[in-house]
Amino acid sequence: MPDDESFDLPGCLERVRQRDQAAARQLVDQLYPLVIRIVRSHLPRRVLEEDLAQEIFMKMFTRIEQFQGAVPFPHWVSRIAVTTCIDHLRAQKRRPEFRWADLSEGEADVLDAVMTNENEVSPDEAMAAHELVHKLLAQLKPEDQMVIRLLDLEQKTISEICAITGWNGSLVKVRAFRARRKLRKLFESLERKERS
Amino acid sequence: MNRSDKAWQRLIKAARQVSEEQESVAPYGFATRAAAHAFTAKRANPSLIEQFALRAVGVASLLAVLGVVSNYTMLAQSTPTHVADSFVTVDPASIVLGETDYE
Repeated sequence: MPDDESFDLPGCLERVRQRDQAAARQLVDQLYPLVIRIVRSHLPRRVLEEDLAQEIFMKMFTRIEQFQGAVPFPHWVSRIAVTTCIDHLRAQKRRPEFRWADLSEGEADVLDAVMTNENEVSPDEAMAAHELVHKLLAQLKPEDQMVIRLLDLEQKTISEICAITGWNGSLVKVRAFRARRKLRKLFESLERKERS
Repeated sequence: MNRSDKAWQRLIKAARQVSEEQESVAPYGFATRAAAHAFTAKRANPSLIEQFALRAVGVASLLAVLGVVSNYTMLAQSTPTHVADSFVTVDPASIVLGETDYE
């Protein structure tokens, strides 16, 4: 979200509508941190973050005439970003089954540690845990991935998720419930496979 | 909370330790590129005349085809049945030179 309080957003939007390139550049610079944060946390594999960010800004400029001010402009942009990320996630094929063989040695150790003992994962294994979380989330539907990332990884509240995604609270809760159930099944199947 | 939920919570807690301290300022030239692309895309929208020109070509082609189809019988009747008869087979030079009996 733009953190520069001196930035005149309504004025800038007005100038962008009049095709002022300098205002458009200023708007991109202001919104870049917001957009890139969403892109980085929901970036599909094999997609360059800069390409995805550019696509989001293109959509923003194309639809800027449709912005009526019903929601704050950064929220409106974040919804475009979320929808674009979901479209890209949907376009990439999911693996039919998640296997131990898909994990690196570090990821397998982390998974083994979280499933078998009650101790916390050591800070040295944080990166492996991070990668593992992304691999597990990739097994979920794009919308469900989005909700779990925002809820569990970024620790957003339901109302914050509603503002970012434009979904209502009930839908967010239903998606979170469905995603957690799928994750539970995923853990159980991995545990069974490890035993066998 | 069952074992799987606890395992997920431990895993996610560990994953959160990875700070996403990456550069969040737009790379040099990104804003210029994005703004230029956006305005080029907007300019690419055809004008009213351009929008109608293509349709006009389609309508004109359709009218031409309909014209030929509706007048086909007339066109077919006006075509001579013996095309060879309509041509002059006598060489005009030979008439001038008196080599042919042309009456």
